Amino acid sequence: MHLGIVKMIGRRILIALPILGVVSVLLFVVLRLLPVDPAAMSMAPNATLEEIAAKRIEMGLDRSLPEQYAIWIGRVLQGDFGTSSHFRRPVIGLVVETLPQTIELVALGIVVATVLGLAGGLWMFHVRGTYQEPVVDFGSTLLMSIPEFLWALFFILLFGVALELLPFVGRLSATYSRPNATGFLLFDALAVGRIDIFLDALRHMVLPALALGIAFAPSIMRVLRSSLLDVYHEDYIHQARLRGIPERTLLTRHALKNAILPTLSLMGVQFGFMFGGTLLVEVIYSYPGMGNLMVDAVRNADLPIIQAVGLTYAAIVLVINTVVDALYLVLNPKLRAAA
Amino acid sequence: MSLLVARGLTVSATIAGKTVQALRELDFALAPGRMMGLVGESGAGKSMIGRTIAQVLPPGFRVSGGSLTFDGRDLVTMDARSRRDLLGKDIAFIPQEPLSALNPVFTIGQQIDEHLARLGVCDRGERRERALAMFDAVHLPHGADLLTKYPHQLSGGMCQRVLIAMAFASRPRLVVADEPTTALDVTIQARIVQLIREMQEKSGTAVVFITHDLKLAAQICDEILVLYAGRPVERGPARTVFASPTHPYTRCLQLANPNLSGPRRALHSLPEQMPGLLGQLALDGCRFAPRCPLVEDACRRAEPPTVVTGADHAAACLRAASTASIAAPAIGTVPAGTGSGGPLVTVDAVTKRYALGGGFLSSRRHFDAVKGVSLAIARNEFVGVVGESGSGKSTLAKLIVGLETPTAGSIVMGGRDVTDGSRLARQARLDTVQMVFQDPQSALNPRRRVASIVTQAMEAGARATTWDERLARARELLREIGLPPETATRYPSQLSGGQRQRVNIARALCTTPKVLVADEIVSGLDVSVQAQLLNLLLRLRDEFGFSMLFISHDLSVVRYLCSRVLVMWRGEVVETGPTETVFANPQHPYTRMLLAAVPPDDPAAAWNPLDEVERLTA
Amino acid sequence: MSAAAASAMRILPAWMRSGRVIIGLLIVATVVACALFAPWLAPHDPEEQDLLAQLLPPFWQSGADPLYPLGTDALGRCVLSRLIWGARVAMTVAVIAAFGAMILGAILAHVAGYLGGAVDWTISRAVDVWMSFPPVVLSLILMTGLGAGVRNVILAIILVDWTRFCRVLRSEVLVIARKDYVAAARLVGFSHTRTLLREVLPATVPLLITLLSIEMAVAVIVEAILSYVGMSVEANIPAWGQMIADARREIHHAPWGLVLPILAILITVLGFNLLGDGLRRTLDVRLNQTREG
Repeated sequence: MHLGIVKMIGRRILIALPILGVVSVLLFVVLRLLPVDPAAMSMAPNATLEEIAAKRIEMGLDRSLPEQYAIWIGRVLQGDFGTSSHFRRPVIGLVVETLPQTIELVALGIVVATVLGLAGGLWMFHVRGTYQEPVVDFGSTLLMSIPEFLWALFFILLFGVALELLPFVGRLSATYSRPNATGFLLFDALAVGRIDIFLDALRHMVLPALALGIAFAPSIMRVLRSSLLDVYHEDYIHQARLRGIPERTLLTRHALKNAILPTLSLMGVQFGFMFGGTLLVEVIYSYPGMGNLMVDAVRNADLPIIQAVGLTYAAIVLVINTVVDALYLVLNPKLRAAA
Repeated sequence: MSLLVARGLTVSATIAGKTVQALRELDFALAPGRMMGLVGESGAGKSMIGRTIAQVLPPGFRVSGGSLTFDGRDLVTMDARSRRDLLGKDIAFIPQEPLSALNPVFTIGQQIDEHLARLGVCDRGERRERALAMFDAVHLPHGADLLTKYPHQLSGGMCQRVLIAMAFASRPRLVVADEPTTALDVTIQARIVQLIREMQEKSGTAVVFITHDLKLAAQICDEILVLYAGRPVERGPARTVFASPTHPYTRCLQLANPNLSGPRRALHSLPEQMPGLLGQLALDGCRFAPRCPLVEDACRRAEPPTVVTGADHAAACLRAASTASIAAPAIGTVPAGTGSGGPLVTVDAVTKRYALGGGFLSSRRHFDAVKGVSLAIARNEFVGVVGESGSGKSTLAKLIVGLETPTAGSIVMGGRDVTDGSRLARQARLDTVQMVFQDPQSALNPRRRVASIVTQAMEAGARATTWDERLARARELLREIGLPPETATRYPSQLSGGQRQRVNIARALCTTPKVLVADEIVSGLDVSVQAQLLNLLLRLRDEFGFSMLFISHDLSVVRYLCSRVLVMWRGEVVETGPTETVFANPQHPYTRMLLAAVPPDDPAAAWNPLDEVERLTA
Repeated sequence: MSAAAASAMRILPAWMRSGRVIIGLLIVATVVACALFAPWLAPHDPEEQDLLAQLLPPFWQSGADPLYPLGTDALGRCVLSRLIWGARVAMTVAVIAAFGAMILGAILAHVAGYLGGAVDWTISRAVDVWMSFPPVVLSLILMTGLGAGVRNVILAIILVDWTRFCRVLRSEVLVIARKDYVAAARLVGFSHTRTLLREVLPATVPLLITLLSIEMAVAVIVEAILSYVGMSVEANIPAWGQMIADARREIHHAPWGLVLPILAILITVLGFNLLGDGLRRTLDVRLNQTREG
């Protein structure tokens, strides 16, 4: 059984690596379409044309596209994503700084989405066939129609401006300085024993995480509800009922374990998308994560950052997919036998 | 005292604003330890009885009259908690589809454990012991291994044994078995039915055995209750009901089933079909009257009373005394094909190999679905192919019509090998062969009207055809297959199962092919509809003259239709010859096992299904 | 309801009797009308700045100017007019991009699902590569490469969202291609193209329409996101996302400036989603068949 999972994860990684390779090629090609000169961008504004030409040769921009790609990917594999033309710093440092912030935010968002999604799905299933059903149904369509950045703005208006309950700018109040260790702020704050910093950081995360979570919860609700409805049409539920198993056990033991499977595969896709959702949410909350970095880079046409962050996003999505696949395998004996 | 008693039990529903009755004034009394066969075609209401016992009726249905008592307690008015206490303990159920009746995410062990825990076996180790003992009782070997297996790792027959073990675990007083063998292969069916009988006798349980097979019920049950359109039409001791039925419907049902031994007799085919829930509202009198060969005016006026026709034997019919006059004459053997002009289709040493699995982490294995099969179909000849699931008979059909390409061997039609995939080969196939598919639900495009479906071939032709031309041809085809012309503008969803299968056949006949390949085309149908179609095929052959490769798991149907038969087992033809010879004197152990699995035509005769063929060949 | 009206209702196809479809259609029709007739509907030129009337509140608040029913923004531009003109960008993008993504995705899905084998493998892997980017990230990257402008927004959405159609439709095509009636069509002499067009495509059309409606909602959101970060239309064309970005700066002085474009997006998206949802419920043949059967 464990061997099957290890094998399957191995197979997933073997599939993921070529995908990541193709992604890197695509990223490279798309961004070469850009009508800006990476060499000129990477230098001070007062550089002479000769200096720029020399830089072009140094950066390999006079070579063919496949050669340029080979040079670039060679450096990337050594952890060198080049230098940001805007920040004048190595890109890898910027990514290492911002990625943990985004991961913390998404992790919290995933918790919110999962709790809301599963609870909501169960509730929607519970009210099936009652007069509440159409209302709940309409409500879920309404919730589905609100993307995360609208929630983000709405929460700012409500909790930030109107009620003044929670902060909505930045990662930490100006009075604190951030402890440095792993880069994961919540973790570092606890590690140095600063509960106050931990709580302050958490308060700054509540609104963005809530916005992310609540935006991704409705689709989870709906899939759980419809999978539960499907499962309740299955023979084994009928047969278990005929064995005298109480309705409550039917739901919690027999139905839920089956209905969670399609829900889980949806969650895998959704959580990958959630990383994309952080983009605008981080901008709106001035949250110093990778999304903010990306949007800045796009505005400044800062190619090395866009490439690095793009690749990082792809890698994260593939990791999430692998984790979800592994979980799916643990929960689904049919696939486990096949693996 | 009787264990399960129904008195005037009526189950109703409201459909389209009208109150309809799925079960109507049902009376029976089942004594402890007895086995009652509940016989009827689909829609007769037989499954509704099981659902009424457990009070899990489909949405909208309710018990609207009468009573149903178990051990003197009314199951209908009983509160939900006490009823649930009975379920699984005193009343147990054996399902129709064993594979889907076990929860796929739990092991067999976990599911049995849960059941035993509910029965009050507190100690875990004791539950395990009990489970292993249960497996022994239902003859499941390697019990300890089985506990850790998931349902999908087991065959349908094994799952059904597990479910039977669970049903009898509590030594219940009543077991309801709802078509417990329909989804299984013939040879396994026989073993399962006998197992239920064995367990029933061992624990002295009363059994309600729901089935569409009158012969099977007569073989294993003590008494029989025949249902028609929600109404009980005949009840009595099993063998008496089978030997001398007193309701015309029972008699017709019996005569609609082809026999496997003795002289081949004509099939009695009832016209049309059983009325649906809404259709019954239009009938004032006997619900069988529109189809009854003995009908008289009085039958249509009021529902006939139940009359006693013998010891414990009763029928709801005014003409019960004349039932024996319905007869089906003996007819000769099936005419053989004509040899002149050589065979229409020649299959020579055809093999189809499939790759299994095959990733780079697992070694590539393969499996031969069809292995070196040869056959020839002569003009006007009906050739039968029998075998169980996995025997390769459906793959053979697909190879012949060109839905699959053989790995080796040749298929010759119209003088050329048609396996090379060329345009000429495709044309040769189009000129020679057409296929009738098993499941009309899947074979008829739900978005096309019947006229468009049956004349689909005209749409493919090079010459453009007008809708009027097609409509005319469609009417012609519909008349030939016995459907009213107004069917032409209907959609498949507006037709009954039997009508759909006729449309399915009509489409294949549109281009007047020389050979029809028919894959299990009557297996999903009720007996009376099956008889209609079998007779239709024989009539069509007389009228048009075509050959047919008729694939079926049902030996008696093959005997009725085909002059020659091929027995397939694990991709190979293990025996072939004239149908009468093969069935009368089978040579291969597998053929013998197939024949032995069919309940004998005479229910009084002993029925000894054989063990698995591996043991026989070893 | 009178008997005549009731029978008239019965003649209407099921999808036209669904409350969701009707509400969805009404909302969508209103927004489309705003987009089409913006020059006549809008009381002001959306770019006209009235520097004496900056950040006026909407009509229900004190200090409102009846000339500007929904108030003005920081540059004194009429919010109502900008909302109406904003519908133009939103609808242009939604309709063209959704159709484009549908055509690209549907063709690939049908080819992949029907032919199977190597073609299917290639297309499925392409979808995998695409899906390894969160859509917003991919469209931002594409916009960086393509440059700003409505045409490029549309192109970016098509290039990103064809996978939504392809993934869902492909599995539907797989189910239908396995139906015996598809095999039967081949056996009576249909060519592959004819089988695909006459047997498979009609069965996927309901799903196609549903996905199209939902994709329009997605396109409205993506366009808003892109214009929020200034990657969509040129600065002199009013767009909802841009209005939000402008109002975000004045959030403490003029919160309603933020609320109005948010509402515009929300209602439009809701309209498309209701329409899609209602169509899915009423057009889904498989769903209806299982209910009957």
